Amino acid sequence: MAKIIGDKLQSLPKYWLFAILFLVTSIPLFHPLSVPTPPDDGSADLYAHLMQVPAGSTILLASDWTNSTRGDSKGQFVAIIKILADRKLKAAIYSTADAQAPRVARDTIAEINAVRVKNGQPPYSQWNDWVSLGFYPSAEGQLSSIATDLRKAFASKTEQNPATGEQQDVFESPVLQKIYKLSDCALSFTITASKTSDLTVERLLHKTPLVLMVTGVMGPQTQNYYYSGQIVGLAIGVKGAYDLETLMAKGLNVPGGIVSTKIPASAPPLSNQTDVQSIGTLFYPPLQFALWLLIIMVVIGNVGMALSKMGAQSK
Amino acid sequence: MNPGMQDFLNAWYPLIKLSAGVFGTVGLYSVLYKENKFYRFVEHLYLGLAGGYSMIALWTETLDDTWYSKMVGKAATHADAAVPGMWAYAILLPIGAMGYFVFSKKHNWIAKIPIGIILGLYAGQQVQAWWNHYGPQINKCMQPIFPTTLASFTVPSKVGLSPAQVTAINQNIYPSQALSNLIFVATILCVLSYFLFSFELKSKFFKGMTRTGRLALMIGFGAIFGSTVLMRFTLLIDRMYFICIEWFKQGILHMR
Repeated sequence: MAKIIGDKLQSLPKYWLFAILFLVTSIPLFHPLSVPTPPDDGSADLYAHLMQVPAGSTILLASDWTNSTRGDSKGQFVAIIKILADRKLKAAIYSTADAQAPRVARDTIAEINAVRVKNGQPPYSQWNDWVSLGFYPSAEGQLSSIATDLRKAFASKTEQNPATGEQQDVFESPVLQKIYKLSDCALSFTITASKTSDLTVERLLHKTPLVLMVTGVMGPQTQNYYYSGQIVGLAIGVKGAYDLETLMAKGLNVPGGIVSTKIPASAPPLSNQTDVQSIGTLFYPPLQFALWLLIIMVVIGNVGMALSKMGAQSK
Repeated sequence: MNPGMQDFLNAWYPLIKLSAGVFGTVGLYSVLYKENKFYRFVEHLYLGLAGGYSMIALWTETLDDTWYSKMVGKAATHADAAVPGMWAYAILLPIGAMGYFVFSKKHNWIAKIPIGIILGLYAGQQVQAWWNHYGPQINKCMQPIFPTTLASFTVPSKVGLSPAQVTAINQNIYPSQALSNLIFVATILCVLSYFLFSFELKSKFFKGMTRTGRLALMIGFGAIFGSTVLMRFTLLIDRMYFICIEWFKQGILHMR
C-alpha cells in the first residue's frame, strides 16, 4: 500500500503541475497582495545613496537589459527612473550589452511618461532630463574609454533638441553640458542581465560610486561586490524592485518608514506618491506562491520516494 | 493608404501587436507539452526577428553616430557649425571585414590580424581589471576574529545617532561580529584547502577541512541554483502578466 501511494506521489502528471503553476502565478496578478518583507541591505543602501544625490546632478545609467529579462529588470529600471524624475536628477543612458537595449529603455521611459502626464506630473523629458547615448558592442573597450575620457567615449553622439528641432551634440544638452569626466557623475548605475556587471566593476572602480542592479540568478555572485565595498548599492531581481518600491512609498529610517539597523542613513519617501508601487509590488506575491508550490512539490516527491522505499523493504 | 484603413490600423494596431506577442508566448510554452511544429515555427520566427532587429539597431544605435557620421561629416545647421568628414575612418571597414575571413579555410590567417589587435588590447587591460575585480575582495577576507568590546553582544542600532557615534560603533568589533567573522574566515580557509591539488592531504585535520570546504561549496551551489529557479519563475510571471493583464485585461476588456 505504502509503495502504491509512494509511486503515485512520484508520478503526478506534469501537465497538472504546469497548470497549477500557471494558475498560482497569474491569479495574484488580478488581486495584488502585500508581502511583509524588510528590504535587503543592498537595496536600502542604494536608495539612501540615490536620495542623497543633490538635485540637478547627472548619473550615468547603463541599461543593459532587454525584454528577455523584463520580469526582473524592468521593475528595477522603472523604479530608478521614477526616483530620478521625482528628485529632478538627470540620466545619461547607454548600453554595452545588447543592441536592442537602448530602444527598450526609450520605450519604457515613454510608458512611465504616459502615466506621469495622465497623473498631471511633468514628463521625464529626453534632452532636458535624459539622453540616450546608444549601444557599444565592445563592453570592455567602451567601459575603459568611459573611465579614461568620458567625452571622447561618447563623442559625436547627437540627439534632437526639442527647442530647436535640430540634431545636436549630446554634450550641449542640460544632462551632459557640465560633465567632463566620470567623477562628475554622482553615481554610475548598471541595470544588467549579463556580465557587464563584472566589467563595470573591473573598469570603473574608484572613478565614481557604483551601483549594480542585476537579475535574480546573478544575485549570489554580485553580493561579493557589495559586501567588499566595491559597489555602494545592490538590487537583486524582482525583490530588488519590490524593495525600492517599498522604500519609495515609506522612506528609510524616517518616522513611519522602514527601519534598517545596518544602514544608518535616512532617506524620505518620494514626494509624489502617485503610481509609486508598480511591477515589483505586483510580481513579488506570485513569486512567493510559485516558490511555495516548488517546496510543496519537492516535499511530496521526497515523501513519495520514502514511502516507495518503505513499501519495497516490507516486501 | 486610404483614411478608412488608417483609422482601422490606429484602432486595432495595439491589440494586433499584443496578440502577436501572445501567439509567440503560447507557441514557445507549447514545448512544455512536447516538441511540436508550432513551437519550432515560433522559435525560428523569434530568431529571425531578433537577428534582423539587432542588425538595424546596431546601425542606428552605434555605427551611424560613432563611425559613418564621423566619416562623412555633417552639414551646418541652425544650432551647429558644419563638421568636416574624417575619411580616415574608412580604414576601419576593411580591418573589421578582415574578421570574416575566419570562415575561409585558405585565407583565415587574415582574420587573425584584427583578432590579435583585440586580444592585445584586452590582455593589456586585464592586469588592472583583475585587481579591481578581486583585490578588494581579497582585502575584505582579512576579517578580525577577536572582539574589541564586550559592552554588547550584538552591534547596537545606528539609527538616529550622530556621525561621531556611528564611527565609534564602527570602530569596535562586537562578539556577534567576531563570531560571524570567524565562521567566514574558517569557511574561506576550508574552501581554499579543497583546491589544494599539489600535494596529498593525509592528516585528519586537513581531510576534515577539505570535506567542510566541499560541503560549503555545495551549499553555495544550492543557493545559486535557488536563485536560478527564482529568476525562471519571475520570467514566467512576467509572461503571465503580459497575457493576463496587458493583453486580456487591458487589451481585450479595456480595463485599467
